[in-house]
Amino acid sequence: MRTPRMFRSTRTVTAARRPKRTGLLLGGAVAGLAALALSACAGPAVGAASTPKASASSIDWSAVTPATSITFWSNHPGKSQDTEQAVIDAFTAKTGIAVNLVTAGASYDEVAQRFQAASQTKDVPDVVIASDVWWFRYHLNNQIIPVDDILKAVGSDTSDYVPALYGDYEYDGQHWAVPFARSTPLFYYNKDMWAAAGLPDKGPSSWAQLADWSSKLKGQVPSNGAAMGLSTGPSWGAWWLENFVWGQGGQYSDKFDLAPLTNDATVAGVQQLKDLVSSGTIAISKDSVADFTAGAVASTIGSTGSLAGVLKSAKFSVGTAYLPDGPKGSGTPTGGTGVAIAAASDKPHQLAAAMFVDFLTNTANTATFSQATGYMPVRTSAVESDTMKAVYAKTPQFRTAVDQLADKARSQDDVRVFVPGADAILNSALEQVLLQNADPKAALQQITPQLQTAYNENVEPYL
Amino acid sequence: MTLTTRPPRPPATEAPDSSPALGQTDPHQRPARAGLTERFATLLAPVTGRDLGPLARRRRRTGWVAFIALAGPNIALLLMFVYRPLLQSLYLSTLQWNLGSSVARFVGLGNYVEWFTAPSTRQVLTTTGIFTVATVGGALVLGLGLALLLNRPLPGRDIARTVAFAPYVLSGLAVGILWLFIFDPRYGLLSVVLGWFSVASPQWYTDPPWPLVMIVVVYLWKNLGYVTLIYLAGMQAIPQDLRDAAALDGASPARTLRSIVLPLLAPTTFFLLVTMILSSLQSFDIIQGMTKGGPVGSTTTLMYQIYQEGFVNGRAGYASAGATVLFLLLLAVTGLQMRFVERKVHYA
Repeated sequence: MRTPRMFRSTRTVTAARRPKRTGLLLGGAVAGLAALALSACAGPAVGAASTPKASASSIDWSAVTPATSITFWSNHPGKSQDTEQAVIDAFTAKTGIAVNLVTAGASYDEVAQRFQAASQTKDVPDVVIASDVWWFRYHLNNQIIPVDDILKAVGSDTSDYVPALYGDYEYDGQHWAVPFARSTPLFYYNKDMWAAAGLPDKGPSSWAQLADWSSKLKGQVPSNGAAMGLSTGPSWGAWWLENFVWGQGGQYSDKFDLAPLTNDATVAGVQQLKDLVSSGTIAISKDSVADFTAGAVASTIGSTGSLAGVLKSAKFSVGTAYLPDGPKGSGTPTGGTGVAIAAASDKPHQLAAAMFVDFLTNTANTATFSQATGYMPVRTSAVESDTMKAVYAKTPQFRTAVDQLADKARSQDDVRVFVPGADAILNSALEQVLLQNADPKAALQQITPQLQTAYNENVEPYL
Repeated sequence: MTLTTRPPRPPATEAPDSSPALGQTDPHQRPARAGLTERFATLLAPVTGRDLGPLARRRRRTGWVAFIALAGPNIALLLMFVYRPLLQSLYLSTLQWNLGSSVARFVGLGNYVEWFTAPSTRQVLTTTGIFTVATVGGALVLGLGLALLLNRPLPGRDIARTVAFAPYVLSGLAVGILWLFIFDPRYGLLSVVLGWFSVASPQWYTDPPWPLVMIVVVYLWKNLGYVTLIYLAGMQAIPQDLRDAAALDGASPARTLRSIVLPLLAPTTFFLLVTMILSSLQSFDIIQGMTKGGPVGSTTTLMYQIYQEGFVNGRAGYASAGATVLFLLLLAVTGLQMRFVERKVHYA
């Protein structure tokens, strides 16, 4: 796999300016820029008012013959490379279509960065990982095609996808990806501490109840511990915070309208979290899941995808529960990644890609993938399959995660997942409140213009 | 993936010497005040004569052939991979362009206006300033101290030198991740050590300004070996007769250090100052490995902001505007140093 152009050029810069002072001065100063010179061969077309969006309706897919070889860019979520390869081998045996599995990064962001940088070249995949915060940008950039028609053409039953998970990829009445490695936040608790504190063997039904239980749990944790640990940070903090906000009836945005972000309900959600932190019920740390498995906190919120790791490293019995409710609502945000089909590929490759995407997420394979990684089964028919029943028998904690998905899952508010940089901006407001004792309303008001600018600049002109 | 760009590491031969003739024979001695230009000028000197005889014409041709053959590949690489991206980046900074999109809008200086008026800019510049001063100043002072120590005939000195230099060759990302374990306020080695002195560990990850302090400490640890190595080389080039003369005059070790060693190390210090500032302003890997610029942006330097805006937020035009600012900043800092500092540090 070829190194992306910008990284290559940076390295050459370093080598080229070794000997001379002149080179040192200019070369050194330029290197930062060179790293940013993104597309060395072709830049964007300037001045186009809006992107012409791919419209798939006019294509007669039955007249297309699928290609015999396609490329899939993945980060192997949940260390799933072997599982992915096994699915691919089965797919090739069944259809004769070879799939070249490429490790395109270690995280969703790295795959996305590479996919975007490669968009100006011919070196693009046919199928690509498309995480919750990235698929919409692929769509805005016209890098992926809607999947509705093409999946119908290959005989995929999209109505069998878990509605909340497939619905995440809907925009403009079309779906732009299919769910693959999907997760939600989950409440983890230390059953041993719970029992020693005399609490019932279940999670708190509300945040208020957790506050009540806090004093009992304090006796079970070290002096610098707490009833619950949470961590902030990009790609994380603003995800679970949705639960607090929804619990008070608030939201980050109504579609792209930011008015709800600073209304009383949303402020109350952040305020409730702040109160729980200042009263000592919740402690904020770098890695609350690590703190939890080490016994420093009695409970935490972690991704469902972390379940296998938690069970492996915890030396106590681990319980899982739904995220607690607020007084005016509840909900667990969905997350994780789907797979999308590249717009740059030609029709035969797209058709082969659709066949592969369908196969990768069919009932048997999503169950196998779930079993291997701890991500959710993405098809309703897989939830009660024998494979999943074996999983539930072995790790009953996973059942909670799947049930929560059915009972409580809710698609995230648009601004976080659709506006570039919004996740980081929301997280910075959260950190100001929790780490610097800022007033929730002031912090949310302060980020509103930033979010609005990000939307006006980077989203609206391309809708 | 790291975007690290390092300053060059020329062989440390910046030997200050009292003999001018000797000094000029070594191309590294005076870090080529006009290196390239001067050499071209010499090479091409005959061509400036007005009435060229056949000999001069031939010499001119030979000069050009030599110039193309020797400098050509290097210039081509510079043009291709330094100046072309530089110009492209300048062009991109006038666009609103979502990274990966096939279309963009021309916004003129809009990105610059936004950057200079953004509420985060002041914090980013302050963070960059503190980080640069702390890392460069700290590395020079500590590196000099370590070099003085390792320049003495101590037992196991060679091993100590190797150990001191080793961190420099490690990957910054790996170093950052390893140090996270040491700094962990709950289980980290550092909290245990602080516990011996009944000091509670600061909240290194979550309580500004401690995250920035943590980054500076790790950066110093990683780069100290390089500074020490260069200083050691500089010290070994100080002529023994000067030390001997100072000893004969009854100078104390402190006085020798102040009046002989430090002044003669000035070119080395200058070289380190330039390269360390460039390196520090462009550092990326440790921040990426440890804090990702957080919390609350407290460890977001200008370089890291450019990465975040460009590759995380996908705002290629805005990031390019930030990159231009960084470029001008580096140019200004280096220009000032060349103009005002360099001329004061050479005794040769």
